[in-house]
Amino acid sequence: MSSLLHFLRSTVFTKIVMAISGLLIIGFLVGHLLGNLLMFAGPEKINGYALGLKNLGPLLWLVRIAMITAFGLHVWSSIELASRNRSARPIAYDTKKSLKSTLASRTMLVSGMAILFFVIYHLLHYTFGIIQPNTYYAGGYRMESTGEIVHHVYNMVVAGFQNPFIALSYMIALAFMSSHVSHATSSAFQTLGVTNPNINKITSKIGPALAAIFLIGYLSIPLGVMIGVIKKAPPQEHMQGMSKECPDGPNCTCD
Amino acid sequence: MKLSLKVWRQKNKEAEGQFKDYALSDISPDMSFLEMLDVLNEQLLAKGEEPVAFDHDCREGICGSCSMMINGKPHGPESMTTTCQLHMRKFKDGDNVIIEPWRASPFPVIRDLVVDRSAFDRIIQAGGFISVNTGNAQDGNTLPIPKPDADSAMDAAACIGCGACVAACKNASAMLFTAAKVSHLGYLPQGQPERQRRVLKMVEQMDGEGFGNCTNTYDCEAACPKGISVKNIARLNRDFLKASIFG
Ligand code: HEM
Ligand code: SF4
Ligand code: FES
Repeated sequence: MSSLLHFLRSTVFTKIVMAISGLLIIGFLVGHLLGNLLMFAGPEKINGYALGLKNLGPLLWLVRIAMITAFGLHVWSSIELASRNRSARPIAYDTKKSLKSTLASRTMLVSGMAILFFVIYHLLHYTFGIIQPNTYYAGGYRMESTGEIVHHVYNMVVAGFQNPFIALSYMIALAFMSSHVSHATSSAFQTLGVTNPNINKITSKIGPALAAIFLIGYLSIPLGVMIGVIKKAPPQEHMQGMSKECPDGPNCTCD
Repeated sequence: MKLSLKVWRQKNKEAEGQFKDYALSDISPDMSFLEMLDVLNEQLLAKGEEPVAFDHDCREGICGSCSMMINGKPHGPESMTTTCQLHMRKFKDGDNVIIEPWRASPFPVIRDLVVDRSAFDRIIQAGGFISVNTGNAQDGNTLPIPKPDADSAMDAAACIGCGACVAACKNASAMLFTAAKVSHLGYLPQGQPERQRRVLKMVEQMDGEGFGNCTNTYDCEAACPKGISVKNIARLNRDFLKASIFG
């Protein structure tokens, strides 16, 4: 029991919280990327996918609560440890050279904060429709398969990234995110005590590899919109009788 | 060769320090870095000034006393080398050399380049004893130790407690040192009975001294004059996790 208390109060524990919560977020990012790549498969696929997520109901909330908790714990542990680290060297060196550390590993707090701001911005943009309300309600979409009228996620994203400032802001955020992930993923294995040299051959490369996959994968969407590979979906036939539940809400143009 | 030195001078723990510039000439490339400082100190004494205080003892790279930051690197530009083993031929005629003490709040400067590294001793002390029966030592062959374990234990035991890992770390973390001390007993059968207690106590002491925490940047490994591997840190994390849950 006393050793458990010990454990909970130590920096090693705080670091383990950081590693596990970070890995959970990485797991989410993998799923999020796979889902987002449906943008290349056209409006029917991605809009259907978004609808499928919505229809998960309580399960969706479970994932949301898990992600919010992981994010909260991750930010808490980073503040906890960063403030300790700051007070451990109150007087700076006149001259200090880095030896073998990477730039990404030395700037984790900066990249982390950039991600935090981005996540808030991203939620306000595509989840709550506050940043660009006119593109959020980009006209409903009638599912070809079921005839159901749904939120036109596809056109919302296309319209969003057709604004070069928005596209640029996402690209900058992606740069920070991949920098964070490139150090973080490998680092988490060290924190969790993996020492097997055969496994470490893989874990030391997994961070940079995952960062590259995230960077290319997520970047492909704004780039695809900008170079016109992903185009706005053509307007569908008039959608009748959809005024009340229309996902376009206040901006509804159907009658 | 000629050198321009910029050296941290501080009277005592409480006093405020500052850098002072010194010009040296006729330095032989065959001198060690500490011998170069000896030359500086003789000149200072001849002028009636206070010599620069620095720690040193063995001058053969095994005691870990000769701690100082040289041009932004612990123990200077050569890897796997303490200051006493660093030779002036690693510098060029006319070089500027900045010499500072280790910077970490658990390592207070007590004079010039000398810091108090007792925090390390307290971490080792917190690790406590290993159980050994009194009387004659048992025959070595009755305690078989796999060669890789013996090698890893020896590698970890090579730590000389110099503090370069803390000095190099951007967080002033003592994880490499603590991990080396935890591992060198943890690899051996003699270290098993108290293995869990030891890691918990040493980490508690390390945290209590006010060192920063490890963010796995690995500058410590590059700075360590004895080449202690960061795999010992992963081992410490694992031992600590096990000891907390099962201990
Ligand atoms: C996309 C979201 C994020 C992911 C996937 C992520 C992932 C990770 C992972 C796996 C670690 C490694 C833990 C370890 O070394 O054991 C880590 C470390 C860290 N994260 Fe995050 N993180 C994210 C967002 C954030 C945010 C929002 C912050 C806070 C401001 C932050 C700050 C940090 C800091 C300071 C570290 C420690 C640096 C280090 O150990 O080198 N991260 N992150
Ligand atoms: S781990 Fe290396 S750098 Fe750190 S105290 Fe031991 S010998 Fe010095
Ligand atoms: S004086 Fe002993 S290691 Fe340098």
